[in-house]
Amino acid sequence: MRRRPGKGALVLPPLLFVVALLGVPVVFIALFSVGLRSNIPGAPVAFSLSNWSDFLTGGGGAFRGRFVYSMEVAVGVSVVTTIAAYPLAYFLSFVARRRTYALLLLLLAPFFTSYLLRVIAWQIILNSSGVVNSLLWGMHLRPQGDPVSWLIYSTFSVSLVLFYTWIPFVSLPIFVVLENMDHALQEAAADLGASRMATFWKVTVPLSLPGVIAGFVFVLIPTTGEFITPLLVGGPNNQLFGNSIQAFFSATPDWNYGSVLAIALIVVVVVLTLLFGRFLQTDLRAEAEPGR
Amino acid sequence: MRPVSRIGSAGLAFYFWAFVLFLFAPLVVLLIFSVNSSPTPTLPLSGFSTEWFHQAFSNAELTGALVRSVFIALVAAAIATALGIVASLGLMALRGRALSMALTLLLLPLVVPYICLAVGLLILVEVLGSGPSLIAVVLGHCVIVLPFAILVIMPRLRSLDPAMNEAALDLGASSFAALRLITLPLLAPALVSSGIICFVTSFDEFAIASFLAPSGQPTYPVFLYASARTPALLPEVIAVGALIIAGSLLLVMLAEGGRRWAELRLVGANADTESVQSEAEDDQPPATVAMASG
Repeated sequence: MRRRPGKGALVLPPLLFVVALLGVPVVFIALFSVGLRSNIPGAPVAFSLSNWSDFLTGGGGAFRGRFVYSMEVAVGVSVVTTIAAYPLAYFLSFVARRRTYALLLLLLAPFFTSYLLRVIAWQIILNSSGVVNSLLWGMHLRPQGDPVSWLIYSTFSVSLVLFYTWIPFVSLPIFVVLENMDHALQEAAADLGASRMATFWKVTVPLSLPGVIAGFVFVLIPTTGEFITPLLVGGPNNQLFGNSIQAFFSATPDWNYGSVLAIALIVVVVVLTLLFGRFLQTDLRAEAEPGR
Repeated sequence: MRPVSRIGSAGLAFYFWAFVLFLFAPLVVLLIFSVNSSPTPTLPLSGFSTEWFHQAFSNAELTGALVRSVFIALVAAAIATALGIVASLGLMALRGRALSMALTLLLLPLVVPYICLAVGLLILVEVLGSGPSLIAVVLGHCVIVLPFAILVIMPRLRSLDPAMNEAALDLGASSFAALRLITLPLLAPALVSSGIICFVTSFDEFAIASFLAPSGQPTYPVFLYASARTPALLPEVIAVGALIIAGSLLLVMLAEGGRRWAELRLVGANADTESVQSEAEDDQPPATVAMASG
């Protein structure tokens, strides 16, 4: 396309749109978090870090605990999901030859159906008189009316549903890396006498790490801010950090304290993105640079 | 030597198909219980019935929420796709640092947790004094789906042969005419993909809608969430849910099939090996690359 200098200015309207509807709200959250605004009429409005110090070091231990629990769940789910996704991507890339893209679509199709409906489906499967329990009763593997206690409203159920939600999506970046890999390298390893196992661990896996890390981040970032799954399949002890934020803006409104938690979550996610970002960045840059 | 042994291939195939089963099982469960006569979704099944569908479609609140969500998703998809075209055209003209910075900002909504954006927008509408409204929901959805639109449209735009646009300009077309007559028609497959992804994402979005939809005007996911906690409403929710799942699976298949078909036609029209190669490379479902955050 003929390059004319003025054309770059076309990004300005969309940029302004994002700044107005993402940047400005985040600035307001920040203002609320330091007491410069308040949703309670007549409350004193002045700069104050008391909510921050309460959350970080003071009486807000419950929220710190909730935060740690959330990160444990998010990291645990991300690790398990990434490991489980690898063989799926490997199958698609190296075994399913002609039907690769049809099978990839099969794997990804559930991802495009309603997220909320899938969580509701799991609620039906896991609840105390749900599909799994009634099946166990029907087969006389458990006494009638005695459900498996950890099946729902537990860390297990929250983690399982998050795993279910993200695994198709995590297999995608791994698949892309495996597909774009130079297969001559594996042939070379084999020609030089490496066994299949040695080739896999010493050539394929190291070369696919960018995709693995991208997949890991693809699930870590959204699960860090997750709050819908715990609402439907989590018990009171399995609510995540996102649920604390939600509560401060709905059931028991304290926008100032809620804003502290929201900013903390944004900071964590931004730090995670920066830490892992270069693995994603390479993808985006490659995409953005012309004539790759 | 093949990279995977025969036994290894069989094992991987088993693993893959077991996962497909795992992924589709909950969807099948919803489909089964949508036609089960018992009001509680539990085994053993009690008999075939279409009662829940009748009930669901005579529930004015449910159908109202559905219509509302369709409308919001259509508007959000149209606005985001339009902004996506503009942004992609602009990004194409940028290089280096300007490109990185603009791209980072435009893709930022992929990273910010929806719950934070939702409370931020709630604060914004309260500060502005307008309060929760469906317009606010539409605008919120536009922000979160804009990155998807850009990630789908931009690669397609880059794959176009610049000579076609130049030819139009040399033949005296204004740059707007070249855009309208040359670039946009060639972008059509990407625009359709973008529209579908944006529509589906907005239609399904819960966090922002739950904070910004006025009470009494829930979107479909907001209604769904409330009903999922009301046992009496659950069968109706399952019935409509089954329809939506069947519909969205069909849509995914059609969209992908249609895109393939359109691209094959374009490749055929170009018929030079270079573009065939780049098409083969672009064969990854573009939709999915964009769905980086849920």
